[in-house]
Amino acid sequence: MAEKGLSREESVRAESAPAKAWLAAAAAWLVPGAGHLLQGRVLRGLLLGGAVWAMFIIGLRLGGHLFPLAGPYDDGLSTLLQVPPVIANLGAGVLYLFCLLTRTGFTDQASLATYEYGNTFLLVAGLLNYLIMLDAFDIGAGRKP
Amino acid sequence: MTLFAAIVSVVFGAVARDKGRERVLYGLKIFAEFMGIGLVLAWLLYFLPGS
Repeated sequence: MAEKGLSREESVRAESAPAKAWLAAAAAWLVPGAGHLLQGRVLRGLLLGGAVWAMFIIGLRLGGHLFPLAGPYDDGLSTLLQVPPVIANLGAGVLYLFCLLTRTGFTDQASLATYEYGNTFLLVAGLLNYLIMLDAFDIGAGRKP
Repeated sequence: MTLFAAIVSVVFGAVARDKGRERVLYGLKIFAEFMGIGLVLAWLLYFLPGS
């Protein structure tokens, strides 16, 4: 059944996104920019991926703090408050995973005066990559040129 | 703030519009808005009494 506001063709196309769209989205999450590169959008991939990589690296250089997947968090509300920044950080894909493995950027003690700027850069790098991931998916599904 | 605005504007411009010229114009618009609102807020906070 066609969804409200969509034609029948658009609705069918929305429901049956091809596997390559999912693959592009997964690649875009894992390696920022890879989703577009895989689909032959080289310039766009380099531009978008470069933006996320640059933002993440600048964030680390500014002394930003990454939020770990698992504790040590206090019990209760403070644990819940850690969930959104973890989701934001996770958006950076392999950049976050590399830092997790090498324990880079997870220190609790701020070492630079610019650490809050760094935090913002790190969080926004992940969030931007979610947008880029959706863009790669839309291109793969034929919803975008 | 300038660096942040520039990087975010590049991504927004590339993702939100489909044609080359529209992308550039939208990116510039987002950049100008970031800078303008940032400067206005900075001046507003400047006049607030600090701790």
